[in-house]
This record gives sequence, C-alpha cells and structure tokens, in this order.
Amino acid sequence: MLLRCFMVFLISLALPWSSLAATQIEISAPGEQSIPLALTTFLPDKGPQSEKISGEFNEVLLADLDLSGLFRFVAPKAFLDDAERIGLFSTQVNFPQWRLLGAETLIKGTYALEGEKLIVEARLFDVVNRRLLTGRRYVGEAKDVRRMAHAFADQVLKELTGEEGPFSARIAYISNQSGHSELWLMDVDGHRPIRLTNHRSIVLNPDFSPHGKELLFTSYRANNPDLYRKEIYSGKEAKLSYKPGLNVAGRMAPSEREIALTLSKDGNPEIYLLDTSGRIRKRITDSWGIDSDPSWSPDGNRLAFISNRQGNPHVFITDIFTGRTTRLTTKGKYNATPAWGPKGDRIAFTRQEGGRFDIYTINTDGTDERRLTFGTGNSEHPRWSPDGRFLIYSSDKGGKRGIYVMRSDGTGSRRLTTLESDSRHPAWSPRW
Amino acid sequence: MKTMQMLKVVLVVLFLFGGLVGCAKTPPVSAVEDQAKVAQSDMSQQEEAKGVDDKSMQGEAVPSHEAMAGMQRIYFDFDQFTLSDEARSILAENAKYLQTMNDVQVVIEGHCDERGSDEYNLALGESRALAAKSYLVSLGISSSRLSVISYGEEKPLVNASNEDAWAQNRRAEFKAVK
Repeated sequence: MLLRCFMVFLISLALPWSSLAATQIEISAPGEQSIPLALTTFLPDKGPQSEKISGEFNEVLLADLDLSGLFRFVAPKAFLDDAERIGLFSTQVNFPQWRLLGAETLIKGTYALEGEKLIVEARLFDVVNRRLLTGRRYVGEAKDVRRMAHAFADQVLKELTGEEGPFSARIAYISNQSGHSELWLMDVDGHRPIRLTNHRSIVLNPDFSPHGKELLFTSYRANNPDLYRKEIYSGKEAKLSYKPGLNVAGRMAPSEREIALTLSKDGNPEIYLLDTSGRIRKRITDSWGIDSDPSWSPDGNRLAFISNRQGNPHVFITDIFTGRTTRLTTKGKYNATPAWGPKGDRIAFTRQEGGRFDIYTINTDGTDERRLTFGTGNSEHPRWSPDGRFLIYSSDKGGKRGIYVMRSDGTGSRRLTTLESDSRHPAWSPRW
Repeated sequence: MKTMQMLKVVLVVLFLFGGLVGCAKTPPVSAVEDQAKVAQSDMSQQEEAKGVDDKSMQGEAVPSHEAMAGMQRIYFDFDQFTLSDEARSILAENAKYLQTMNDVQVVIEGHCDERGSDEYNLALGESRALAAKSYLVSLGISSSRLSVISYGEEKPLVNASNEDAWAQNRRAEFKAVK
C-alpha cells in the first residue's frame, strides 16, 4: 500500500460576532430563491502574490456555491475598486459600491503564503445591512487550499441556511483506473482521487460507516464475494463476513452496532443483520425471490430494499423490529438501488423505463414520486449528500460510465470523474 | 462585544497518495476463452474499446478457473434466470460431456449485463448459476462436482453498451476447477 498519511491542522478562528448572526435568509428549496453574491478573488496579505492560490480557492468556492443553487453571481468584470482593497473589517468595506452592483452578499478574503505555509482569511458580508455574517481563518499548507475553500463553502451555507454544506466530505467509489476494480476516494468535486485498496481482484459496493471512519465493501480477493471493513485513517482492513455465496451490499446501521447485508448461504439471497464482529444477529427477509440492497432509515428502525418477490424488482420497506413489510414502488418493471435520504422523508431509487434507467425520489409513504434525470444514457445508483441537498450517482450518458452530482431536485447536474476509466457506485461520506 | 476570540480547532487528517498507482500494467489478456463465434465479436469489441476501458483485464486478474473446451455457455433474458429451451439443450450437451469426465469439478459462473443495481445483479447472477446447476443435477451430474459463483455485472464477455453486448453478457459459464 502506497498510502501515506499526513496530518494537517486547519485552525479556524470563529470570530465573536459571527455567532450573533442569527438572522438567516429563508430558503425553502434549492433554486427557488437566489441570493445575489459578489465573490471576489482573495488578495495577498503578507508574502508573495500567488495567482495559483487565489485562483484555486476562488474556483473551488465558486463551484461549490454554484452547485448549491442558492446564489446568483455578480459578474466579476463589473467589480469596482473595493474588490482590490484588502480591508476585511465591516467598517473598511465600501458596501454602497457593492449595493450599486446589485450584490446582497459579499465574500472577501486574503491569503498569506510563507514558503509552504498558507493562511487564508475569508469573510462573508451582508451587503444590505453592512455587517459581517461569518469569518474563518484557515492555517495549513499551500496544498490544502482546496480543503480550505470547501470548508468555507460549508460555512457560507451554514450561515445563510442554518445547515452546513457537505463539501468537506469525500466520495468513495469504484474505479478500474488501475486495471482492476478498486476502492477509491475523492473530494466532492472529483479532485484529488486516491486509491484505497490494492486487491487486484474485484472490489464492489462501498459504503461509509455513519461516522465516516470506516468503509464497508465486498471483494473477490479470496475467490468469493466477501464483506470487508476498512478503517480509513489507519488503512487497517479485515474480512467481516465470508460465508459461502454472496456477502454483499453491507450497510452499517446509524447506531454502528449492526450491519445489514445480503447473504445467500442457504441458496437464496436474503437480508440479514450482523453484529460488528460478523456474527448473524437476525434474519430480516424470507422470500422465495431475490432480496438485496438494504438502505437504513436515519432512525435505524427500518430498511428499504429491493425484492422481486412479487415478480419484478421493486423497492420495499421493512420494519426491523416488527417485520411489517410494505411495497414502496408500484410503477415500472424494474426499480432498484433504494437510498434513504438523511432527513428521513424521501427515498431515491432507479427505475428502468423505455430501456433506460433514470433516478427518481419518492416519499416514504409512496406519494409524490418525482423523476430527476432525463435524456440519453442510464443514470443509476443514487446516494445522498449528508445534508440531503445533493445526490451523487453514476451515469453512462457521456458514452462511458462516470460519477455525477446534482441537486436533490434533479437540477445542476455535473460530471466529477474523467471518462478515461470506468467509475461507478459512489457513496458520499458523512461530514468529516 | 469584540472582547475575546474563541479558538476553535478543526482537525483534519488528510490522506495523501504517495507514488501514484504505480502498478505495472498487466498486458490485456483477452477474455475470450472458447466458442469461436462469440470470440470473434468479442475481439472486434475490444478493438473498439482499445486503450480506453479494458474490463477484460479484470477478468484476467481474478485467480479464476479454466474454461472447459467441451462445455458451452448458456444465455439468459434481461432480469431472468429461467432456462430457455436452447439453454436446456446446451446443458444436456454439457451434462453428456461431464459424464465422460468423471474426475472434473466444475465452477458455474453466473453473469449479468451492466444495467441495473450491482447488488441485485450479484443475486441474479447467482440465481442463473444455480438454475444451471440444478438442471445439470437433474440430468444426473452429482451436485458435489458443481459449485457456483456470481460475478454480477463485473466480468462482461463483451465490453460494450448495446443490446448485442448485453445479450452476450447475460450468461452462465462452466469452468474446470484445478
């Protein structure tokens, strides 16, 4: 394993007045209301100017905030001289100038680069009320500039909506870039991919533990689809379930005390609960057909899963305590890959219609079904961001399979991975 | 109000990737094992996909079992594991062959096309392999000679996304165990 660990301390100074900014802008749904935002390029405070640093910070922050769908960006070409001034105190900012450009919010900042050491000061201002909304100071190295920008994007969303963004999290996925299907991890904008496994076999179905410290996945390393767990920080890996037949679709419960998975040890795929040492604690399904692909409700009481017990594959929901099972999807002949949203109210899934797979969401009581993807190609395997704002999924609409992200209403879709290799089965980590 | 600054320490552990995926490229070995007819279309598909996304390399990597010259693949319809008449007659031929090779153990591999849920396809591939196994058993082959493994959609025979490729990828294969 060629993985090395570096520890980086990002020190953020929460400014005292940021805690007072209780007034939040009311936003009910992405895209419904857009806030005019002026995002300036950060200026060098001390030390040399680095267009690489300021450019990269600006690019990452812009992309994250744009994906959120909450903002309308004031064209940088229209910026006046305040954009060139360093002053970050609200008394130093020329708010009328920004008002003139139609901006209601403003992001300004500075950076100081000393050798490899990088300090970034970032501020979000309320232009209308002429005050600071939030400020952060990030201390790290030049190579951490993307992480700092993602962290500030999370903070901006938190300040304006009350809910932190998911941009500092990571995406786990399967790629065959190395010549084998292995487990990879990348930033939520597709940058900085790193390979986590070197099984030189087939690695499948990654899923994060609810606290994001571990990944579960299936590998054929020992000539059988066995379930593994891997600690992300230490790289430590262990086989968790290796019964004859399938040991797939492992999903850790919100409590992290149990793992739902599909076993076919008795000749038919059924869903079971294991304890964290891999022993069977409970059998969840018992049908003649295929039962697979469990997804936990956020409260840990229910599982959504696929079953073809009534003929075609459909999404079902079962209560793990009472065993009461109901069918969720009624339309189409192939519904699959349920993903229970983090707010508990909606489930994303895929359906085949007209020979192609598309992504849908539905309320947990079966009402308000919405189709999110359209057009050519198959869009499959949706997974939620930890705040429920976004869905990550795989699609072959570009002719080859890659990983895409979109808002949970289906807008703003963009591709994250290159099409040089096959990337699929993404999972969004919890906040780190 | 601006009296104190509260210090909040956010600790972030970064993984860096030292010396990138430097594994030496294994020469792509064709997934074609037998069956001239299938083999030819497979070759042509590989020509098209050359250097871009060669999944057949995966096939080579898994320490797998040898194809048996005397045993033919069977194919399935989308999302089905029932045996067609054609599949049954191929299995009957395979059974005859196995009766002449009494010492051979066989692994039946179940495969799917790339569409649909990975997790469901793993289950479906297993159902296909099990359907083939139980038919061979019904024809007098001892079940102790037959084991199954599902590869889901992981080892396509034809690495392309079209109806023809998918039809060839929905299959069960018969491999001798060493």
